[in-house]
Amino acid sequence: MWGQTDTNGKAKYLFMEETHVTNADFMHNRELDEGELLLVESAVPDGERFVFVLSTDLNKKSRYAVNYLAATDTALYSVDEEGESERVPYESIERCYVKRNYGNAVFIIKEANGRSRNFSRFTYTSASIFDAAAQFAETMAEGETGLHDAQAVVEAALERRRSYCPKCGRALSRPGAECIYCQSKHKLVKKVAKYVLPHKYVLLVCLVLSGVTTATAMLPPYMTKTLVDDVLPNGNKPGLNTVVIMLLFAYILQYGIGMIRSYLLRVCGDRIVRDLRSDVYRQAQYLPMRFYDKTSTGSVINRISGDTSTIQAFMLRVTQEVVVQLFTLVGIVVIMMSMNWQLTLLSLIPVPFVVMGSRIFGRKIRPYYRKIWRRWSAVTSILTDSLPGIRIIKSFTNEKEATENFDHYNEEWLKTDIKSARITIAFPQIVSFVITMGSLLIWAVGGRLVIESPDFITAGDLVAFISYTSMFYGPVNFFANFNDSYQSTLAAAERILDIIDAEPENNAGEGKTLEHMDGKIEFKNVSFSFDRSKKALSNVTFTIEPGDVVGIVGTTGSGKSTLINLLMRFYDGYDGEILMDGVDIRQIDMEYYRSQIGYVQQEPMMFHDTIFNNISYGTPNASVEEVMHAADVANAHQFVARMPDAYDTVLGERGTGLSGGERQRLSIARAVLKNPSVLFFDEATASVDSETENLIQTAIERLISGRTTIMIAHRLSTLRRANKIIVVDKGEILEMGTPEELLAKKGKYWRLVEIQTMSDKVAASKAEERFE
Amino acid sequence: MSDKTETMATNETEPVSPPIEEEIARERIYIDGDEAHFERVDITNVDVNLFDGRRFEHLEPRRLFPRTGLERYITLLDDDGNEVAVIRNLASLPAEERRVIEMCLDEYYHVPHITKITGSLEKFGVIKFFCETDRGDCTIEVRNIVHQIKLMYGIRVMFLDNDDNRYEIPDIRKLDRKSMSYLNDYL
Repeated sequence: MWGQTDTNGKAKYLFMEETHVTNADFMHNRELDEGELLLVESAVPDGERFVFVLSTDLNKKSRYAVNYLAATDTALYSVDEEGESERVPYESIERCYVKRNYGNAVFIIKEANGRSRNFSRFTYTSASIFDAAAQFAETMAEGETGLHDAQAVVEAALERRRSYCPKCGRALSRPGAECIYCQSKHKLVKKVAKYVLPHKYVLLVCLVLSGVTTATAMLPPYMTKTLVDDVLPNGNKPGLNTVVIMLLFAYILQYGIGMIRSYLLRVCGDRIVRDLRSDVYRQAQYLPMRFYDKTSTGSVINRISGDTSTIQAFMLRVTQEVVVQLFTLVGIVVIMMSMNWQLTLLSLIPVPFVVMGSRIFGRKIRPYYRKIWRRWSAVTSILTDSLPGIRIIKSFTNEKEATENFDHYNEEWLKTDIKSARITIAFPQIVSFVITMGSLLIWAVGGRLVIESPDFITAGDLVAFISYTSMFYGPVNFFANFNDSYQSTLAAAERILDIIDAEPENNAGEGKTLEHMDGKIEFKNVSFSFDRSKKALSNVTFTIEPGDVVGIVGTTGSGKSTLINLLMRFYDGYDGEILMDGVDIRQIDMEYYRSQIGYVQQEPMMFHDTIFNNISYGTPNASVEEVMHAADVANAHQFVARMPDAYDTVLGERGTGLSGGERQRLSIARAVLKNPSVLFFDEATASVDSETENLIQTAIERLISGRTTIMIAHRLSTLRRANKIIVVDKGEILEMGTPEELLAKKGKYWRLVEIQTMSDKVAASKAEERFE
Repeated sequence: MSDKTETMATNETEPVSPPIEEEIARERIYIDGDEAHFERVDITNVDVNLFDGRRFEHLEPRRLFPRTGLERYITLLDDDGNEVAVIRNLASLPAEERRVIEMCLDEYYHVPHITKITGSLEKFGVIKFFCETDRGDCTIEVRNIVHQIKLMYGIRVMFLDNDDNRYEIPDIRKLDRKSMSYLNDYL
């Protein structure tokens, strides 16, 4: 215990108040300070060597506190914030695992004597590293592998943690790399600026044109002064004509050049937004599935449409408006000062109020914009949810409820928008009022001067002055609000770069292909979780030989599809290894690897295109006869041929116009055309009737011949060709063997077969009753 | 089916798997009021003795509605995750029995109640809330305010942080004005 001498004599370190171990002596998930080192070291007897020390963020009572799980070469230690410790030697460990509760997880040790210990507790933030610690402890307990091999798993887990930014949790391009999001905002702007650079010459021309239009815009007030002071009082008609013609030319120049400039800017802006959109869309194709698990497709669409436009507008603002407004501001002040410096100072009085007001307004209005955006998102998400499901709404006669639900969120949006309107509407009016007050002040003071000392200032000077004053507040407002638009653009830039700079699917094996893919698949101690709350696969190990037809069975949520997801390399962040023909699949070129795999899903995805193009999707150079042959093999040709437009039939969105079975046969035809080495079927016949199932089944049997095939099936009849069955339950392999072996074993597979046979019998007898 | 699922309080010691037909037809056991005695066997598990003589071992109480109904419909799961019984309403249990279940639930569910927000910081697309909770001080990091901060019933706020940890403000009306000002920007 802290401050006391324990049986191991560790207290000497306390009195010495220095440690013998340093952070460099062991692996850790966080550096320990001197006090912590002392605390941990005091729990461990002399002679034991530290392997790792993991800091938790909860104590055993589920309160926020840093506790420690220390592993030495002979035992595990749990040390709490008070220095209380528990020791469990590896030889007494029977099982060690992390139990995920709700918002927290517990490191549990089951000892050989039957005792169960809740050894450490932590939030999900640290759970993955403790999984590795549990694996380490079990390996040490087994005693078959050396310490070096056992600690490799913890090393790998810690390395993976370095692949994520500790500040924002986003994936890094490589372990320990600088996070693109947490780097300075100027770098963000720099990244976005690369889209502007190709257009620099056009923008430069626009800038020159802007200078001309701004200069010509300053002429009219001066002309007005001439009119008021010289032309009108003297009845100078030729002078009047000259001034009017000069004004006409000034306006023609101003608006004509303005038109050319606007056109060039529009073209430039469109090109910038096109490049941005293309990059975002291209990148979106290569993002890992984990990105889409956490980000709705609607949000990606918003980024491609809305955010790109925000950035484009801002970049044009920076490259054009900043310069123009600055030029205008300086030009006007110089002209005003040259006309009358006293009045100029007077006209500057409202400036601080306008600037301060703009800043306050910006701060006040931002939460409202955010709220409006949230409310609007809620409204649009109801639209995107409900309209595609209109059949369901109608079939459940739920139109009224759907409308009420929409109205509710629409009403929420209205309330928020009205609240924000009070500020958004009031503020510009107040600013205008303040500016007008400034003009009134100039009228009052300047007018008096014109009356009392016409030699000091003329009426024309005053009128011109008032015009310049109103022009002056344009740039003032611009710069006062510039920071807000800079901030909102940075937010948009972050959202865009979230995609553009996101780590694409790991393709470490780029360019590395296999001479020939035979289809030997090995899972070695594979563990995986989609999020940190639940493990989808735990320590899965099995081997599939080339040409095997393997059925994967298990209840819903048991982890069957996850196996396929990992094999398809939709997710790479798993522990352990998956080998294809003896090579880690992460080390094989992604494009080559996937091109060798045929994947048929439960809900086949069809595109809004012709049947021909849907079949040849992925094999664009396929000849007509190859496509027809593929359709033949997939039992699809007959129904396609019966359709009026046959292969030219354009399918509706997501394949509407075809039955589920027909869509499935087209997707099998797609797989046939691809001629893959390995085939995965994920519940391919789950949602079709028995007759269609037979058609699909025949198609599948033609396709799988000679190919390594993995079939996930609820309907066990689908697995009649399988020579090996893997039973998955709760992310673990429960049983594995030939169907005969598993039936003889009378385990889970046998039970599933029994249940299904019985339900088939019930269904058959019910069908019989109906027919009778 | 767990081998611990059901052992009668008779001399039968071997766990018996019910026939498949029975399993399909099995009805849910509801526990209402004073119908059972719970013994806590470890931090999140209980043994259940129904007063009709049935006994179930090592069951884990879990909320069927962890967000919307903290006291209603508490399911009791065996080691295989199969439901054995359901407590309809915790409030209907005798105080002692209720306490046992509540202790298990408290251990299982780590949903700190936020009592005060001492600051917030929005940087690099991540919003940090510095909070005081009933389980100590913590920092909540949120990236997507729409999905990760939910206002329920107009007064209750649920947070899901970037690591899938949960937090709750049971009643925002009880927050002080400063905390509310930090929160208000994101509701």
